[in-house]
Amino acid sequence: MTAQEVRLCGLLLHEHFGEVVEKVGTHLLRSGAQNLRTIIHETGLSVDLVKKSLMVLVQHGACLFSSGRKGPGSPTEYRSGCDRILRILRYPRYIYTAKTLYGDTGELVVEELLQRGHMTMSGTVKTVADRLTQNMEEGRSMDYSEVSSAFSKLVETHFLQRCPKLAGAGTADSTSPAAGATPAAPGTPAAPASAIPPTPESFPDCYKVPHMTLVGRGKRQLAAEDGEDQRNAKRQKMDSEAHGDEGIYWQVNFERFHLHFRDQAIISAVANKLDQTSSEIVRTMLRMSEVTTSPAATCTKPLSANEIFRSLPASYNIPRPILDQYLTLLVDDPMEFVGKAGESGGGMYVVNLHRALANLARATLESVVQERFGSRSARIFRLLLRKRHLEQKQVEDFAMIPAKEAKDMLYTLLSQNLVQLQEIPKTPDYAPSRTFYLYTVNQLPTARMLLQNCYKTVANLIERRLFESKESKRLLEKSQRIEAILASLQASGAEPEQLTEVEEMITAPEKQQLDALKLHINKLDSAENQVDETIFLLESYVNSTATSTG
Amino acid sequence: MAARGRSRRTLSFSVDSVGINRGESLPPTLQQPTPVFPVMEQKPLPLTGGEEAEYLLALKQDFRGAMRSLPCFIQPAAALRDVERYSDKYHSSEHTDGLMDWTPDWQRFPRELRIHARKPARDGVSVARSDAQSAQKKKKKKVREKEEVLIKLETLQKKEEQQSEEDDDDDNTEQKKKQEDDDADGDEEYDEEEFEEVILYVTCDGSNQSVWTGSGLTEGSVLQETDYIMSYFDNGEDFGGDSDDNMDEAIY
Repeated sequence: MTAQEVRLCGLLLHEHFGEVVEKVGTHLLRSGAQNLRTIIHETGLSVDLVKKSLMVLVQHGACLFSSGRKGPGSPTEYRSGCDRILRILRYPRYIYTAKTLYGDTGELVVEELLQRGHMTMSGTVKTVADRLTQNMEEGRSMDYSEVSSAFSKLVETHFLQRCPKLAGAGTADSTSPAAGATPAAPGTPAAPASAIPPTPESFPDCYKVPHMTLVGRGKRQLAAEDGEDQRNAKRQKMDSEAHGDEGIYWQVNFERFHLHFRDQAIISAVANKLDQTSSEIVRTMLRMSEVTTSPAATCTKPLSANEIFRSLPASYNIPRPILDQYLTLLVDDPMEFVGKAGESGGGMYVVNLHRALANLARATLESVVQERFGSRSARIFRLLLRKRHLEQKQVEDFAMIPAKEAKDMLYTLLSQNLVQLQEIPKTPDYAPSRTFYLYTVNQLPTARMLLQNCYKTVANLIERRLFESKESKRLLEKSQRIEAILASLQASGAEPEQLTEVEEMITAPEKQQLDALKLHINKLDSAENQVDETIFLLESYVNSTATSTG
Repeated sequence: MAARGRSRRTLSFSVDSVGINRGESLPPTLQQPTPVFPVMEQKPLPLTGGEEAEYLLALKQDFRGAMRSLPCFIQPAAALRDVERYSDKYHSSEHTDGLMDWTPDWQRFPRELRIHARKPARDGVSVARSDAQSAQKKKKKKVREKEEVLIKLETLQKKEEQQSEEDDDDDNTEQKKKQEDDDADGDEEYDEEEFEEVILYVTCDGSNQSVWTGSGLTEGSVLQETDYIMSYFDNGEDFGGDSDDNMDEAIY
């Protein structure tokens, strides 16, 4: 929970949930686990507001609560983590992935769940059907069963999962907290919450679609007058009969999306480095090992060349010897995406996931150095990555750069902390004239440092965007009002002269200013999305090393 | 530190191994923090455009906009003005109406987060009493008035036939009762606007926690319990402050 992460989380909470939730959230992030009274006291907000913000945070999974440290009688403690809040940056990518995989219906399902945090299946299906019906032409409406089937597909491929039943919640304290979702759990009487909250996957029913009786079609919201609208809206809320899935809430499974992104990154890297066919082969291998590989695995399960040959998509009819050649090429490639694990079955091949992530992170670091300091500094950097430790003289010789410039570049990199100095003494008293000074690059700490830089970058981008909007707030409000007037005029059928008259209320220089503002804001937003891609790569790399060593 | 070596001009590190030759001067020492926006030698790469990037951008902006209108977007009461105004009393609780749309499943939240509904007093009986007192009082009241309530409910329900049949959240606990305070007094005010739209649940066990839920009232005057529509309380501070550029049209 570094300062940069907390700052970025605060900005994200502010944009999506308002400033009250931001205050409570950042306080929790900074102070660790706290109970309700302390939060109220230290943030200085009213009791109601704090309670509501905590509920919003819990609803969206950003905050967990458990019974206090001093035993089951102490007040519940709330704790929050940066990771979940930082995911908000990636929401557009999740929605877009769902769209590419499952069409518009899948996209809207994921979007609804991301907006609401946790929802029941029936609630989601109804809302999505209504939204889809809204956009269809008159007279057509979306059937609930279509949306339900899209939902079930998402659950089958593990993109959605059930929310774990939270211990310590609910009405009575004496009943066993973790009942419900685990029929397999033995009757442990009132076990207090363990130190680690249960992960969703620890429940066997995690990916089981409940049996639901939900028949009907989406309802189109008619533009009626207010009185009728009230009654219509009320009627829609009224028919929330029990659909057989009460108490079962669903959330988006971010880990599964991350695995998907990781696979995509590997495939596109292979496509860039080698060619399309090799990337198809790697894609086939990854698809075959989707279910058999655990999320933290170092490499996929070995696949024989025969299996790969059989599972290649039909459009790629490569003859068998060519496939073998491609596989040999992939194995020999220095990036080591694919490795050979044995000779049976025509050759057993694995995809080295962790090594691929490390290589992708390394490529990211190299490209950062190149773009910031130039290609010759990048050459020095790559040299140090390969050769580990080098003296000043050796750097100059290997990089083939004149001494003065090499020295300059090395010192610049050193001052930016991308390169470190390692001392190797000849004598125990570390006398400077009798010590070797070697330059070195450590990939993991450098990656962590760049990751923090990325968080800082995104926070700066958000702040700049807020600043720009605040500067032109009056202008923005004026343009919004004029749009509203135009829309209402058009709806009530006005003549073109009236419309042009209203449009002219915005003068030409103001229009220019508005366009420039819009361009800037779009650029800043788009930049946030792209920095998030780098964040994803570096985070996956850092997490993969953590699991393999720790 | 450099002068420690007995007035010899030696530095703390060996000169040749780090690569400084004789005769070259060290770079000037830094005496202040580096500039906030240093000049970049290389210009950064342009952003990748393309259809996917634009779609992602649109998704992001739509998501942000949608979140603002959801009940989980909590805004505190309106900012303080320099002088207290009479209309503040009626304006301040307007913003909280959006939160009534969200009925959380209380099984998933700790008990202490339940908020007691602050229903505006209809007959002068203030709801904001301490729990200890109200527990006693309401229990006795409930027992006495349950029968009256049921009878009144039936009559009122018949009146509401043209409205929707069932109450909101019928699947909730079986201890659902309408609030006694309202029914104790005249129910003429209920028929038209309020009664079928705001329903509170009071649990009948000793804990007396009212769960906050209900459909949003649309009539501002009813919620604020005045006879005037809420725009009556606009004190004219917002008027004319917006765009004074266009001086062609005089503002009267």
